[in-house]
Amino acid sequence: MASATAREGVAAAPTGKRERRGNLGMILFYIFLVVFVLVSVFPLLWVFKMSIVTKSELFASPPTFWPQNPTGASWSRVFSNPDFLKALRNSVIISGITTVACLFFGSIAAYSIARLRFHFKSAVLTFILAIAFFPQVAIIAPLFKQFSEIGLINTYWAAIVADTVFALPLTVWLLVAFFRELPKDLEEAARVDGATTIQAFRKVIIPLAAPGVFTAAILTFIQAWGDYIFANTFLFDSSTQPVTVIIPNFAGVHTIDYGAQSAAAVIVTVPLVVLVLIFQRRIVSGLTAGAVKG
Amino acid sequence: MATVAKKRRGRGWLKEEFGSPDRRAAYYMVLPVFLIVLAVAFYPVVDSIWLSLHGGTATITGPFVGFENYATMFQNSNFQQGLVDTIIFTVASVTIEFVIGLGVALAINRSFKGRGLVRAAVLVPWAFPTAISAVMWRLMFQDQIGVISYVAHALGLISSPILSNTHLLLIACILVDAWKTTPFMALLLLAGLQTIPEDVYEAARVDGANAMQRFLRITLPLLKPTILVAVLFRTLDAYRVYDLFWVMTGQQLESLSTFVYESVRISQLQFPEGNAAAVFIFVTAFLLALFFIKVLGMQTSTEE
Amino acid sequence: MGEAHEGAGRKVNRRDFLKLGGAGVAGAALLGAAGCGGGGGQGSKGPVDITVAFGRESTGTLAKLISKFNKQNKGKIKVTWRHMPSDTGQYFDQIKTEFQAQKTNIDLIGGDVIWPAQLAANGWIIDLSDRFSESDRSKFLPGPIQSMTYQGKIWGVPWFTDAGMLYYRKDLLAKSGFKNPPKTWDELKMMAKKVMKDQGIQNGFVFQGDKYEGGVCDAMEYIWTNGGNVLKNNNSNTVIIDQPGAISGLTTERSMVTDGVAPQAVATYEEPQCEPIFLGGKAVFCRNWPYMYGLIPQYKKTIKPEQVGLAPIPVSDGNHTHSCLGGWNFYISALSDSTKQDAAYEFVKFMTSPEQEKAFALNASILPTLKSLYSDKEVVSKVAPIRLNKTAIQSTRPRPVSPYYSDMSLDMQEQFNNSLKGTTSPKKAAKTLQGQLTQIIKQAKNA
Repeated sequence: MASATAREGVAAAPTGKRERRGNLGMILFYIFLVVFVLVSVFPLLWVFKMSIVTKSELFASPPTFWPQNPTGASWSRVFSNPDFLKALRNSVIISGITTVACLFFGSIAAYSIARLRFHFKSAVLTFILAIAFFPQVAIIAPLFKQFSEIGLINTYWAAIVADTVFALPLTVWLLVAFFRELPKDLEEAARVDGATTIQAFRKVIIPLAAPGVFTAAILTFIQAWGDYIFANTFLFDSSTQPVTVIIPNFAGVHTIDYGAQSAAAVIVTVPLVVLVLIFQRRIVSGLTAGAVKG
Repeated sequence: MATVAKKRRGRGWLKEEFGSPDRRAAYYMVLPVFLIVLAVAFYPVVDSIWLSLHGGTATITGPFVGFENYATMFQNSNFQQGLVDTIIFTVASVTIEFVIGLGVALAINRSFKGRGLVRAAVLVPWAFPTAISAVMWRLMFQDQIGVISYVAHALGLISSPILSNTHLLLIACILVDAWKTTPFMALLLLAGLQTIPEDVYEAARVDGANAMQRFLRITLPLLKPTILVAVLFRTLDAYRVYDLFWVMTGQQLESLSTFVYESVRISQLQFPEGNAAAVFIFVTAFLLALFFIKVLGMQTSTEE
Repeated sequence: MGEAHEGAGRKVNRRDFLKLGGAGVAGAALLGAAGCGGGGGQGSKGPVDITVAFGRESTGTLAKLISKFNKQNKGKIKVTWRHMPSDTGQYFDQIKTEFQAQKTNIDLIGGDVIWPAQLAANGWIIDLSDRFSESDRSKFLPGPIQSMTYQGKIWGVPWFTDAGMLYYRKDLLAKSGFKNPPKTWDELKMMAKKVMKDQGIQNGFVFQGDKYEGGVCDAMEYIWTNGGNVLKNNNSNTVIIDQPGAISGLTTERSMVTDGVAPQAVATYEEPQCEPIFLGGKAVFCRNWPYMYGLIPQYKKTIKPEQVGLAPIPVSDGNHTHSCLGGWNFYISALSDSTKQDAAYEFVKFMTSPEQEKAFALNASILPTLKSLYSDKEVVSKVAPIRLNKTAIQSTRPRPVSPYYSDMSLDMQEQFNNSLKGTTSPKKAAKTLQGQLTQIIKQAKNA
């Protein structure tokens, strides 16, 4: 990691002599980090605050910065809503399957694009990219029609298929970029040892590209987790609807239950971050350690 | 794939293309993704293109009118406004996200105290679903009760309510988008940094290169593929921004996608124009991607 | 009772079929429906399953009424409630997507009063003129009936209604020496200014000025109470929004901001923003729907019921008060087969019977659509807006009834909001709208 530290100096302003620059660099570095962390988490903290205050404090003018009379009312409203708990499960299922599908199909395609020789490569890649960037708002009505013809509507698959199609380009492009950067010698060595293309891919490339694969997984999962427009159009009842569809419905015709929405927002964000963190440590460190040894 | 091969067997290079087992393997590996995307998205896209060339309403398709819908679309002031806002939004937010994202990626690609915390913090905005955060942001920007409005007023940064001023709203959208997607950028770039082998830096240090030189000559060039992917995806994603504009600004700001939504899903009469706008987004996004690939030299493989 | 009605229903339905068939588009829709209906496999065995669509209802009253109906009709009809998005705009978008694709499981729509013309013109809902006889209709308030009359036919049954009204702070007005609520917009401004000055209240008047459907409702009230309108006689094909009445209505709305009575940000307010300001004790007046009265207990610390008064929407000198009509009606899908349509109508009759409407009014504190309930002692005493503000409920007016209302609304939302923000003058906004709406009506004729 020594080189990484040195690389870091770059982020700081280059001034004066080496040592002073090192110190100043460290200070600037930490200031930058602290500001960044604060800006990143402040809105979530504020939303958490909104979830534990009374309705009149929520709308206090001027706003209060520290909760005056904390209450758990919003939280109990959320947890006493059976639809919300079902929605959490549905979100996990939809995002989970989407991620697995994207990584499976995406990494195979990416490997072939990054490593193997064939014509139409750019054409295929650009096509996948462009189609998936057709504006979603324009595509939902015809997609609805198409999905209802084959009976996907109001099943998990409607959301999973749509999410997968729109997440695949990112997965493929990302993995292509990562696979390309990997040294070829290991793979070639494997092939000299008699491994097939697929074996070389599975045994050598995937472990080496672990940081990239894992990053792609996180990004895909969260993208699917946050999808609203497909789920809202294709899924009809609480047995399939994910959290993004349920939360805005903590509301009436003329009213919005901001307290419950805030609590629910915290519930769908924080565990996700914690889970990713745990997984990140385990998987990335485990795999990269293995790869370095190999 | 077999049928494609059969159809064109006459030509020599195609024989070569599909004759070698390696190449066939390549096609087999790409095929699933290609088919999935095609099966799901082909009909809707072709449908939109078809509808954009016809008159009528949301429920009745009229006669073929050529590019007339495109002409009326370009004259529609809401479309023009949407185009301008979308371009400003895309350029500004992607630039901010890239600069800060790169800084963050460089910063957390090293060991220091509290790295776990920083990495967790990075994920928070990205994991916060936009459908919900847009509502929360709107509340924070509200006059009288919104915390950001309050602070901005106290600091003398603004003199009129944020939510009814389109300039302030556009700035707010850019900042909120930067808040949300900088983590995306940072995570991608971080992953890219992690795949750069350590020994390259060692060699450079031995040669006496200083930090700035190492950054410019090693980090940036080696990171270029990741940077291009990250920037391309952010650009295309920002270019079709929808929920931030629709929910957070309370429909005060128009983007290309909100124009499409209004036309295709709400309006009856503007339906063909909305499809034209959708195709416009599609075509321009395609050109943008091409620009990245051809002009910026975004290579798509190790071979070509 | 079910048997006799079912027979009648079927007969009528065949007639409906022929009638609608003549309408071309509707005919196509029904043919499509006939194809779909086969899949249901209802036949004559077992209960008829029907799905009713409606947004969320927070008191749980609707769910109770549905299970009551299901118990009463065990073995015959089973109603399932499909929860739609609570955002009305999204709810409607979803309905349109499904009906346009001719793929929907919805048999009965609990829908907004502004939808029927748009649904009917596409042949998505059935004409109820025969089932819902004139004598039955006369039992309901005229406003909702008017809202569902399109091309001389009746397309729905009124379920519950909504009327814009003026909320005012009795205590604050009294303290500044005003006994009665304002009758005119000028009085309102004068009182608001005095109370703001005397008692340091932050806002004089708040209302819904955002760029959305509610903003249209509020602007319409300003226009109507200034003697203007959007369409001549409210539903003809002549646009009259550039006439002096409408312009002075928009001018009055804008003057609330320029005279310092309403905050500048009122152009971004919807109901959820007005509610905490008024009930939080930070405004003298508020224009809102009746539901807000029921929320007073949630703001115990800042307000008590006796401090809040309700009055009809003020007017400009010499004009009549008008409230924008809101509320929800039942519409029966034209894509469902006739057995389901009959079952759906049974459910509609149940929901709009005096007993259930009363239960709904008392428990969900909404306004019933049956005239008789307005003299029911229990309803009058327990649903405060009825007791306090009968005038507003009796002077409701629907928004323009047009199959292209969505298009008209998009333009009105934009221009009304621009005029309120001050980025366009009221006169120019009205002129622009005159052109846009005329164009829409012209296109509608050709389409």
